[in-house]
Amino acid sequence: MELLNEIFVAPFADMVAAPDFLLQVLWEGLVSGVLYALIALGFVLIFRSSRILNFAQGIMVVFAALTMVGLHEKGVPAWIAVALTLVVMFGLAVAIERAVLRPLVGQPDIILFMATIGITLFLIGAGEIIFGGENKVMITEELGIPTGDTVLEPWGGLLILQHGDITVVLVAAALVLALLLFLGKTRMGRAIRALGDDHQAALSVGISLQTIWVLVWFIAGIIALVTGIAWGSRAGVSFALEVIAYKALPVLMLGGLESISGAIIGGLMIGMLEKLFEIYWGGPLLGGNTESWFAYVLALLVLLFRPQGLFGEKIIERV
Amino acid sequence: MKTLTRLALAAAIGLAGSAATAEGIYTPNLSYRTGPFAATGIPIMNGQADYMTMLNARDGGIGGAMIDFEECETGYSTEKGVECYERTKAEAVVTQPWSTGITLQVLPKTNVDMIPILAPGYGFSPMANGKVFQWAFNPPASYWDAASMIMQYIADGDMESLKGKKIVLLHLDHPFGKEPLPVLEAMAEAYDFELVPIPVGLKEMQNQSAQWLQIRRERPDNVVMWGWGAMNAGAITEAVKTKFPMENFIGVWWAGHDEDLKQVGQDGKGYKSISWSMPQPDAPLMADIKEYVVDAGLSQQEDLNSVFYQRGLVISMMLAEAIRAAQEMHGVTEITAAQLRDGLENLNITAERLEELGMTGMVPPFSTSCSNHTGHSGAWMLEWDGEKFVQASDLLAADASFITPLEEEKAAEYAEANAPWPVNESCE
Repeated sequence: MELLNEIFVAPFADMVAAPDFLLQVLWEGLVSGVLYALIALGFVLIFRSSRILNFAQGIMVVFAALTMVGLHEKGVPAWIAVALTLVVMFGLAVAIERAVLRPLVGQPDIILFMATIGITLFLIGAGEIIFGGENKVMITEELGIPTGDTVLEPWGGLLILQHGDITVVLVAAALVLALLLFLGKTRMGRAIRALGDDHQAALSVGISLQTIWVLVWFIAGIIALVTGIAWGSRAGVSFALEVIAYKALPVLMLGGLESISGAIIGGLMIGMLEKLFEIYWGGPLLGGNTESWFAYVLALLVLLFRPQGLFGEKIIERV
Repeated sequence: MKTLTRLALAAAIGLAGSAATAEGIYTPNLSYRTGPFAATGIPIMNGQADYMTMLNARDGGIGGAMIDFEECETGYSTEKGVECYERTKAEAVVTQPWSTGITLQVLPKTNVDMIPILAPGYGFSPMANGKVFQWAFNPPASYWDAASMIMQYIADGDMESLKGKKIVLLHLDHPFGKEPLPVLEAMAEAYDFELVPIPVGLKEMQNQSAQWLQIRRERPDNVVMWGWGAMNAGAITEAVKTKFPMENFIGVWWAGHDEDLKQVGQDGKGYKSISWSMPQPDAPLMADIKEYVVDAGLSQQEDLNSVFYQRGLVISMMLAEAIRAAQEMHGVTEITAAQLRDGLENLNITAERLEELGMTGMVPPFSTSCSNHTGHSGAWMLEWDGEKFVQASDLLAADASFITPLEEEKAAEYAEANAPWPVNESCE
């Protein structure tokens, strides 16, 4: 009886008793969710255009952030370091397309997936040799990211909104909007979508596979840089950031590998639900640290009923 | 240029790895310079390596024998650590596992392979009991010592004053992070305070908002942190963000890294960390390190005065003193693993010896014995002043009357669970 109370009554009573705290939990979940969605977007873009699950997305986040901070440490002004990092990410996209993807055209998907694991290991090794493994301070102030906070008192309680987090949410929203416009309104964007819809048909009308691959890997690089700045401003830039990318995997399972809206809604759902579960159920009933598995369980539950994810395309095959 | 140096050093380490039978006393270090915990590992490993390099360059090694100090990279992974142990054990006189997880895995093996484990300030706390753990050493203080000293500091010496208080233990969800739980749970029962353990998963180290929301809801009097690597910076930035009073936030000695606190700078003022080592920029040893290692271009370290780098120097000093003691006890130059075990069991780091070594104040004096493999040196409380760690207390001592019976109990449990386990009955 007590257990039923702990599951079905006490958490909701807590929420009602301290609505300001509930708001804080939801806000923190939203910020995490936006960042998960950003990483998931990088995966989705590459998968849509090439059917590759890019295992290297996480290390690209670290590599981009370390490049930017590393350049700044060498005396390069912050915004020039950002621009140079984008050049590096473009070079990386070209190198990956030339050295890894092009020779593997036509190979089974699993081979391409394995190739991205190889890219991951290469970037880890190269990154550690070039930048070292120390935790580096993100150049938050130099980039003009506000560092203060706004304290609100809803219902006489306390709600702390970090200006940095607000900026992250706004920038992420702008980036997603720009991406949607690019995919929907530009020639190159439509080419990416065409390639995602039907590879053979897209190639037959003259869409260049090589150009599109370089483009999507570069866009994934831009997303990686924004994600790296956002996460890095929370707790520094180190190789530990790589593991955050794994949080995007359940987002993809939930939202579907091909759906941009799925990545966004899936990310936000997981960000907020995992925080709510951890605070009101996981911590009190299960001893905490439920965030490490909650998202996967949620995604698996969704897959039981919708194998293609919430927003993925239903696969119908004639046999 | 620095990148080229790194490449050259990486190549050198690679070559060293393939030549494990170089001349001298082979003392492998199961290091972690890569992965999520590298931020903690790099300065410590640099300190350890630099001390041995300095001894080789200045004194021609120890007692006429050069030190072959080789690193085997584990990335703090238990599986890789065990691989490194297996790869190096044939020639090694010691193993330094550098993770509580790896220590627990190799602990039973060292009894069979007869190689001493040196785990300074980490590992399984009951290893202090030399009667049961004949091959394991964790000087100069154990995690249970740390827990005891932190609680005494919070209680200002009067443990009864903890009654009714709420203490959060924010810990890595890993064998290391769970290590203080037995002693803190026993203390909570004995002194009637509430202990709230809050685990941090490996994937959540840089995103601890849920943990700090829980801390905000619990409204604890103090937060004690058992953090390592990226977890520390993540926790400290969240503490600042949630406006937790820094003066009530204390970390174990692996959560007192200058670089982690630099993430928050002045906002971290008041944060504390218990520490059995203390940086001494003016110590004569530092002049020798500069002359024989840094100026010779053999060091990878930039900040010679950081807490972790100087702790690395102290750790290698302990090993070097054990080698010296073994040489003297057995009248040999090239020692075996069994002889080094004797040396580790007869460490006598007195204030006079520290002065001779040019290390006064870098570590408290301590000694080990057959029955006491830790030394229980005590520790200082360090405090972040916004720019660096400074001393915030006199030397604190763990409550032996509380810890020793628990060590004996848990050591006996371990021996029983791993029976047949050899016990040195002659050890008093």
